[in-house]
Amino acid sequence: MKKIRKLAGITWAFAGLLLIVILFPGLTGLSGLLAEAPFMKIHPRYSGGEKAYEIVRDHYTLEIRKPVFMGLVKDRKEGFVQLDWRGQIPGVINDTIDYDRDGVSDFSISVDTASNDTVLRSYNEKVESTGISTRTSYGWAVRVNLKN
Amino acid sequence: MFETLKTNGMRKSFVKSLLYALPMFILTFFLMTGGKPDFSDPSYSLALITAFVLVNILYFLMHYTGKTDRYRVVLFVIFALTLSFSLIRNMIAIRHSMSFSQADILECRIPFCHLVIPMMIIPAAFSKSIIFPGSIINGFANISSMVVLWAVATIVLGRGFCSWGCFYGGWDDAFSRFRRKPVFRNINLIWRWMPFAVLFMVALTAALSLIPTYCDWICPFKAVTEYEQVTSVESAAKAGVFFSIFAGLVVVLPVMTTKRTQCSYLCPLGAINSLSNRITPFTIKIDKAACNECNRCVEVCPVFAITKEDIKNGRVSVFCSKCGKCVDACPRNAIHFGIRGVPAGTMKNFSRNMFLFISFLFMAVFSAGSVVNTLQSIFKLITG
Repeated sequence: MKKIRKLAGITWAFAGLLLIVILFPGLTGLSGLLAEAPFMKIHPRYSGGEKAYEIVRDHYTLEIRKPVFMGLVKDRKEGFVQLDWRGQIPGVINDTIDYDRDGVSDFSISVDTASNDTVLRSYNEKVESTGISTRTSYGWAVRVNLKN
Repeated sequence: MFETLKTNGMRKSFVKSLLYALPMFILTFFLMTGGKPDFSDPSYSLALITAFVLVNILYFLMHYTGKTDRYRVVLFVIFALTLSFSLIRNMIAIRHSMSFSQADILECRIPFCHLVIPMMIIPAAFSKSIIFPGSIINGFANISSMVVLWAVATIVLGRGFCSWGCFYGGWDDAFSRFRRKPVFRNINLIWRWMPFAVLFMVALTAALSLIPTYCDWICPFKAVTEYEQVTSVESAAKAGVFFSIFAGLVVVLPVMTTKRTQCSYLCPLGAINSLSNRITPFTIKIDKAACNECNRCVEVCPVFAITKEDIKNGRVSVFCSKCGKCVDACPRNAIHFGIRGVPAGTMKNFSRNMFLFISFLFMAVFSAGSVVNTLQSIFKLITG
């Protein structure tokens, strides 16, 4: 029994040696495999959620994401909808949004990109307040806080 | 020094040490250059050669002198310093600041670090997603690569990751060596379990809030890497906490106790690595027949992993980070690197050679990027 344990330990040590030696050359392949796992995607709370639809303007495109309420096991009472303006954004952005796509405008938003002043007008009781409003590498992004 | 070398049973002759260092020389050359050395940029070439020579000299000296921790700590501290330097330099070049903005979070551009792993496990299981604003596969320090690196290292090295792979551990390891003798002694060993409490707390709060709470509120290494831009009372409070914990647990307490207090009392990943110590092929073994219970190993252990009871029982605790400090300190070679299943007191040289090769190779290649990057910056600064 002692010999078997000793042999198993030494075999395990050599397996460890092999693992470390192939780790760095194989890192791209191994991390690619891991990236395909079903849980390897960024939580919508950080990614902003999937794109719902977009509105094309003259010099920019407004992307409206799907509202994010996702919690650990069930939806939360509070969430947000993210808006992304991509392209050549004007000094002042004014847009009216129907985030739930029921044909009725839910809020209008005005962003002064020079002063970072963001004004929200709510037409839906589920629309609460402005969250993050910031310049991004692609233009501008705003998160509007919602009730579920 | 001569006396120490003469009595150290792990010491090898010059030629034998060279032969033992040869495989490391070849492998680090291929892994650090990607097999295709490009010497077109003089400053990069010089940095690469310097880093390559440095790691191989350290590895050679481990065999030649028979000492492990003495040379391990050199690269370990350099890794910590150069990682912080290259990260901060990169951030200042791109963002003109050490802080990241809300846009960086929205665009998922935050470099991932292994300390997030304890908090992402429960949300990954339940919501099938990662609660971190980083990149899954592309770019610097992406989530997939960092998880793979840590997972393989913790399976093979166990908590040895904390002494051979963690790019933060070098900070408190360095400060713990400032004094020869501690000011604070007789620290209650119950505190060794604190990282498990922190692990439980951060895993639970992260799962409930879907925020990596340790990174958001506690991590002391934000002070030497990056942190949220101070735009509110909350973000100012967070920055205050990061700097306070860094000053307390990474600087002051290690100096006063000569122990790695952040690693021993706070780090939740260290707690997970302690658990993987149960399956790793390598352990620290105590040869009871050779041990005269001088307790030198108990005194020098930087992570409170050995007690007098452990010596009597002939085994070190799960907290052991395999740094080799106790092995270096033992006057009778009674405590040694071992392989699971192999009886204590046998195959000491073989076990040490195997462990050193694996752990040092991991540290040398993992640290290469930041060491080369920092050296290149220094050379460019000198040459203008």
